[in-house]
Amino acid sequence: MLFKRSKLLSLLFVLLLMFVTGCSNTPKGSENTSPKDNEKVVTFSMTGDIGDLNPHTYFPNEFFSQAMVYESLVNYGEGGEIQPWLAESWDVSKDGKEYVFHLREGVKFSDGSQFNAAIVKKNFDTILDNRKQHDWVELINQIKGTEVVDDYTFKLTLHNSYYPTLQELAYIRPLRFVGEAAFPASQDTFKDGLKSQIGTGPWVLSEYKKNEFAVFERNEQYWGTKPQVDKVIVKVITDGESRVLAFEKKELDFIFGNGVISQDSFQFLKDSGKYETKLSEPTATRTLLFNTNKEATKDHKVRLALNYAFNKKAVIDNIFYGMEQKADTLFPPVLDYTKINIDPYEYDTEKAEQLLDEAGWKKVEGKPFREKDGKELQLEFLFNSTDNIQKSIAEFVQGDFRKLGIDIKLTSQETTTFWTTAFQGKYDLLFTSTWAVPFDPHSYLASITTDSENGGPDYTALLGLPEKKEIDKKIKKVLLTTDEKERKKLYTDILTTLHDQAVYLPISFQSNIAVYHKNISGVDFLPQEAEVPLTTIDVN
Amino acid sequence: MGWFIIKRLTSLIPILLGISLITFILLHLIPGDPAVAYLRMSHIPPTDEAVAALRLELGLNKPLYIQYFEWLGNVMQLDLGMSYVSKNAVWDEMLLHLVPTIQLTFAALIFIVVISLPMGMISAIYKGKWVDQFSRVVAFVSVSMPTFWFGFLLIYFLSVKLDLFPVLGRGTLAHLVLPSLTLAFGYIGTNMRLLRASMLENLNEPFVVYARARGVSERRIVSRHVLKKSLLPVVTGLGMSLGNMLGGAVIVETIFAWPGMGQLFVSSIINQDYPMIQGCVLFMSVIFVVCNLFVDLTYSFLDPRIRLEGGK
Amino acid sequence: MRQIQNMKRKLLSHKLMMISSSIIFFMIVLALFASFFAPNDPNLVDIAQKLHGPSSQFPLGTDHLGRCILSRLIFGTQTSLGTAFLVMGLMMMISISLGIFAGYTGGKVDYIFMRICDILMAFPSFLLSLALVGILGPGLVNLILAMVLVQWVFYARVIRGMVLSVKEQNFVLAAKICGTPKLVIIIKHILPAIISQVVVLIFMDIGGIILAISSLSFLGLGIQPPEAEWGMMINDSKPFFRNYPSLMLYPGMIIFIVVIAFNLFGEALRDALHIKKE
Repeated sequence: MLFKRSKLLSLLFVLLLMFVTGCSNTPKGSENTSPKDNEKVVTFSMTGDIGDLNPHTYFPNEFFSQAMVYESLVNYGEGGEIQPWLAESWDVSKDGKEYVFHLREGVKFSDGSQFNAAIVKKNFDTILDNRKQHDWVELINQIKGTEVVDDYTFKLTLHNSYYPTLQELAYIRPLRFVGEAAFPASQDTFKDGLKSQIGTGPWVLSEYKKNEFAVFERNEQYWGTKPQVDKVIVKVITDGESRVLAFEKKELDFIFGNGVISQDSFQFLKDSGKYETKLSEPTATRTLLFNTNKEATKDHKVRLALNYAFNKKAVIDNIFYGMEQKADTLFPPVLDYTKINIDPYEYDTEKAEQLLDEAGWKKVEGKPFREKDGKELQLEFLFNSTDNIQKSIAEFVQGDFRKLGIDIKLTSQETTTFWTTAFQGKYDLLFTSTWAVPFDPHSYLASITTDSENGGPDYTALLGLPEKKEIDKKIKKVLLTTDEKERKKLYTDILTTLHDQAVYLPISFQSNIAVYHKNISGVDFLPQEAEVPLTTIDVN
Repeated sequence: MGWFIIKRLTSLIPILLGISLITFILLHLIPGDPAVAYLRMSHIPPTDEAVAALRLELGLNKPLYIQYFEWLGNVMQLDLGMSYVSKNAVWDEMLLHLVPTIQLTFAALIFIVVISLPMGMISAIYKGKWVDQFSRVVAFVSVSMPTFWFGFLLIYFLSVKLDLFPVLGRGTLAHLVLPSLTLAFGYIGTNMRLLRASMLENLNEPFVVYARARGVSERRIVSRHVLKKSLLPVVTGLGMSLGNMLGGAVIVETIFAWPGMGQLFVSSIINQDYPMIQGCVLFMSVIFVVCNLFVDLTYSFLDPRIRLEGGK
Repeated sequence: MRQIQNMKRKLLSHKLMMISSSIIFFMIVLALFASFFAPNDPNLVDIAQKLHGPSSQFPLGTDHLGRCILSRLIFGTQTSLGTAFLVMGLMMMISISLGIFAGYTGGKVDYIFMRICDILMAFPSFLLSLALVGILGPGLVNLILAMVLVQWVFYARVIRGMVLSVKEQNFVLAAKICGTPKLVIIIKHILPAIISQVVVLIFMDIGGIILAISSLSFLGLGIQPPEAEWGMMINDSKPFFRNYPSLMLYPGMIIFIVVIAFNLFGEALRDALHIKKE
């Protein structure tokens, strides 16, 4: 009897073993790339899941994956040049209110259906049905009507002449196109999602496991230059250090993006000499945003003091290893209309302490932090834990501000929650960044004026500013200004006010980084910061 | 046997009810109005009317005990609410993460069995010899080692320096080795000492003395009689380890980026995703209870005396 | 032969006791006089000095923010041991009073007490603590609360068991017959009879508590930056552990040494007091 039982036990054990070994799963072709010898596969990783891959929605969709599958009427090219894309050419009426697009013929969606004016209108209309969700894109608010002129001609009518129209049509979301078969029964792609992910882009989603990986195959019917490789595998790796280790083990072919690995890791990979590394031109501004609704940061003097108290040089030298440039303005001065003449707030702790004293936050004998009316000067600093750079800066700020008697309480959250909290305004200091071209500066500024959940937290943050209404009015005006000189003047005015009010604390101009193995080529930076150069990448 | 199982199963009911009650109360410990929190999460401004409407919709105005029974009814239908963060059903998300954790814990269980049983046996047979001393040291190290540190040591030496295993993530069988070894390590010591102790006890039993007197070989005594009898407490030990490993998995999965329940749990805590926290606690506790039940049943199956005594 | 074996074992455990108790003593002194022993301010950030190797100013080097690792380790002793003792103390207060109350009163009270224990013990305790911290929010106070609320039940049950076995012994019965008040019996007779077992229990388990606290801090749910704590130091060193493994090695080593010292001491104490494992 006992013997029988132990036999049963060993049988159980064997079953267990089989279960454990049988459970392993990997994307086809990632572990054994050999089945088709000539098939070229590249693997990289992103911090989050690609989401439901719907160009008309936002989180948790990632820009890069939306851009892989869906395309826009026009393309934002090198240096901001607007290039023909799904529209081969366009005519703009004299008053700037009518745009007629002549669509490219012979473009097919990945399911074989035709791309034409009817499907363009259908996409526009479903986006416009959810106008409120997209109102951070001023163009959406300006659209009066959409019209199919003929099979390959599409007309867009606007309320006003709006100068960034073409630029905003090039955005990765929401004005991109899904095929007829992708529409849900209700035709509402925002509320009910897509039936399937059908686009005109160079890639087609072929395999997907939530929170683990996504596999894209080359769209063999693609109208443009076809990608060099057959397959792209995108793995989800949340942690930067894990990403570096996986890269070194050749589980990843390249690392691309901003904040995806720490600067220390980048420096380490670069110094090892075993890999190729690249750094893009500055794209956007890393900045802190003050919540002007909170007691301490409502005070102009406190905001100024913190601007003076921040040692940007130490951060750039020691955290960025000198790879990023110091930022004194909200936008890099190389963008349209952003070069302004201001006196930067240079690092000066004496001035900072003096300003804090003036603001009533005084040092108290025997206590580590300043107080005003018996309350400690504690500021809540919210940052994104998924970003591999923000943490070290936040900790540095905590340590450095402590010396001035400012208590910084660090709160870190993962991307989705981070933004939720940011939009609720539950912070004193927020780690954020501008949006890079083509959004900077006009879309970013426009988002300051609108309370849109898909825009920026800046709207809420600046509400406590007495000048807020005035600033909003000017931003709204500049977007509809047709006179170049007038526009320039208004931008200068707006940006100078923001600087004087010290509501932002610009730290540095950030860049994209790329690290890749020596057998990989074609890793170039694209004009839109969020795009990954997957069409040019090749494996040798 | 059937009677015993029924009895044991009915004893589960109050415990499961208790667990559900505590998990339910857990969510009511959150500071602030749940309706306001819910609205904030859905990006709806919490105006007085919106809050009132939602309170009505969520049934927050009803007495607490009615809320509990309604909630329990939903739980029975596997409706654990919706995640604040991913907006998916909590149950679906948990199922998605369950398989990797089961895989991890079972692999760890195999490590525990393969390492602790032979070591425990040898140290009992060679009691007081260097093998025994060595196993005692291993046991102490095993229970005193911080799991998270041990995981990093393994990664650093075996993966980074010696390049023997893949570093992180889930994929091939090789990916499973380090995480499951890390998870197993803390339980090796206890199980090993457990077997040693019970073997030592049995080695002094009259039947062993009698067998020796009859001239049965020592080897046969140990393998035929003592070992089998001594394995009983180890079965309990292993079963308890299996349940406790759910807690250890939280840490191991965080270190090795293993997409299981533990990782889901930690990220739901960091994101303050309350329905998910609640769902995870409830689900993992039920697994824990079921594990313990399974242990009891196995035990009674192996040792008839228990069920004859009525499970006392 | 057997006696020699026993002697050897006793000596060995004596030696282990010596070693482990001196480690514990050393750590406690370190914790009490942390500011005296620490060469630098543990929270002073000097980013220009980050990730430096050992030097005369920083005997164990600096971390990613240029803070002195040795000083952080020393101050970590304060937080880690302090928290562990506090948690243990609070738990003992609850479980001794409840355990004695339930065990001594018996009957219905005891029955209800045991059912509560059954339910609380049906949870995987580490997970329940985690969930509590998650709901109350991370931080030192909530961490202590979460651990105490979940784990007191294990001790209370053991203590109840001890009381049950003492309760029926002659000296207690005699006191009862003499009409000694309940409270006096508990304080004068029961408590002294179980106290040595309780002390052993404390020392056997404090290592586990230290591990649990550092695990929670490692997950970012316990002690918050910039305060120094060993588990958190390991978490902080995660991005650097490949190039600067010492950042991770030192705090891990200390946790390990302290925990093993407490475990050895607990076991040695148990052997010395001839208390059998329950």
